[in-house]
Order: sequence, then C-alpha cells, then structure tokens
Amino acid sequence: MRFTLVKDLRSDALMRPLLNGLLLFTGSFLVADAFLKRDHIGLDRERLSNTLYGNEAEFIDPVSEHFVLELLHSDIFFMMMTLLTLSAIYARLCPLKRIAAVVINLAMVAALADVVLFVLAYYRGDAYLLPWLGAFWTWHGAALFMAFASLLYLNVLKKP
Amino acid sequence: MQRAYRFAIAYFALFGLLLLASAAALFASKIGFSVQGIELYYLGSDTIPGKSPYGLLESAVPHLGAMGLFIMVGAHFMLFAPTRAKRRTLYLALALFAAALLDIAAGYFIASGAASWVWVKLAAYITLSLLGTLLMLQLLYYAFWHSLSPRQHPR
Repeated sequence: MRFTLVKDLRSDALMRPLLNGLLLFTGSFLVADAFLKRDHIGLDRERLSNTLYGNEAEFIDPVSEHFVLELLHSDIFFMMMTLLTLSAIYARLCPLKRIAAVVINLAMVAALADVVLFVLAYYRGDAYLLPWLGAFWTWHGAALFMAFASLLYLNVLKKP
Repeated sequence: MQRAYRFAIAYFALFGLLLLASAAALFASKIGFSVQGIELYYLGSDTIPGKSPYGLLESAVPHLGAMGLFIMVGAHFMLFAPTRAKRRTLYLALALFAAALLDIAAGYFIASGAASWVWVKLAAYITLSLLGTLLMLQLLYYAFWHSLSPRQHPR
C-alpha cells in the first residue's frame, strides 16, 4: 500500500499509471461479476428462486449446499480484497472526507449484508431474495462509484 | 491514521471472520471434523470416489494464492501498531503461513497413502482457523479500541 504514503499521487510517475490500471481492472471486475452472477444464479427474483429452490414445474433442481458455500467463500475473498483496495485509494484521493466515509461505509455494509442475506435466502426462504438483490446492487454501485470517482480525481479533477 | 483507513481495516477484519466462518462451514459440510471424514474425502470408498490429482490441484491453486495474500494483507496492517504487538503479529503470521502450507500439502500426502497425515490435516486446519480468527480479532481491536500509532503522509 505504498500509495498511502506517496505525497501527491497525481504527479507520481509510477503510482499514477499503476493506480489507473488497477482502477480500470477493478471497475471491469465489478461489471463482469454482475454479468457472471446474472448467468450463473440469476439477478432477478424468478431466476434466483429457480436456482436456489428449484422449480418442479420446469424440472429444475435446486443448487446444493456445497455450491452455495463455495460461491460465498470465493465471493467473500474477492469482495474483501476489492473493497479494501478500492476504499484505500478512494479515501486517499477524495478530498471530501465525509462523503468518502459515507460511500465506503455504504459499500462495506451492503457487501456484508450481501453475504448474510444470501445465506438467509438459501436457508430461510424467498423473503430474503429481494433484500439480497438490493444489497448486491448497492455494493456493486458504490464500488463502481468509488472506482470512477478515483479515476476522475487521479486524472481530471484538480487538487483543491 | 485517517479515520477512513481504520474503517477499511475493521471491515477487512469482519470480512476475514466471514471468510473463516464460510471455510469452516465448507469443511464441516464437505469433509467433516473427524479422521474418518478426512480419510473418506481424500481416499474414497467402494461407492464414493476419492480425490483425483486434478481435484487436489484445483483446490490447491486458488488457496495457495489466496491464503498467502490474505495472511500478508491482514498482518501488514499491524505495521501501524506498537512494537510489541508487531513482534507478536510476526510470529502469528509465520505460524499462519506454516499452517496454511501444511493444510494444503496434507491433502496430497493423504491421497498418496500416508495415513498419519490425516491428523496433520486436522491439526493444520484447526490451527489455521484459530490463528486466523485471532489475527482478525486483533485487527478489530487495534482499529477501534486501541489507537494505532499515527503514520502521517509526508507533507
């Protein structure tokens, strides 16, 4: 996390292109993750319900407990690494510290809720499907906002 | 230290605890916390196939990358902590690296017929989980209840 110690990231010849690359990859990861989830488990109530609980009328078997646990396990790892890196960069670049704190907390709490609500949706029933979808889009949206804002602060907006 | 960084560290620790909990749930669900369970998972039986070399590799590759990264990132936050805590974290991180390597390697030894490695697998996994939890709790403590020594950006 050398970027937390560099005085002015915008004029650092090494850190600026590195952070630009990292932010572009992170933003692409977030968009690709949404597409992958849409195809993998579904990002609307009906498809998600079919994936988690199955559908006798359409001969769809529910996913196994192993599938859910493995999905969560890998998702948690990517969430924590992505959000940690993004929030550290955004907190360093955003001059509006109060807004930065709100956005970072929103992304983190929504991501934590994503994990908890997915477990609840699988084990407790479909009442948690819509809250999970809300948490999923909230943390993806907040993380994308952080990536986009960081790119703007790094390349376009002048230092106040 | 900026308030936002302290929050980021605390959230990292919370995610870390969730990661360890999901790993424990997976271990309990797929293998089971018993010698028989581990033997059955790796060696199989007449009706259940054991782990193939490809299956072992498929599990080892992401874990080798992820565990190293997880331990390094978690432990490096303690750079901001007082000296005594830093030394303790160094031993903790080294023990975590060793336990993680043993946990991954044990699967190969069990699958190749070394029965005594079942105990190593169980001990390594339990050590990894407990020490990982300790590291995450330590991070939470230093992020919220104990002031981390401020390391200002050079101005």
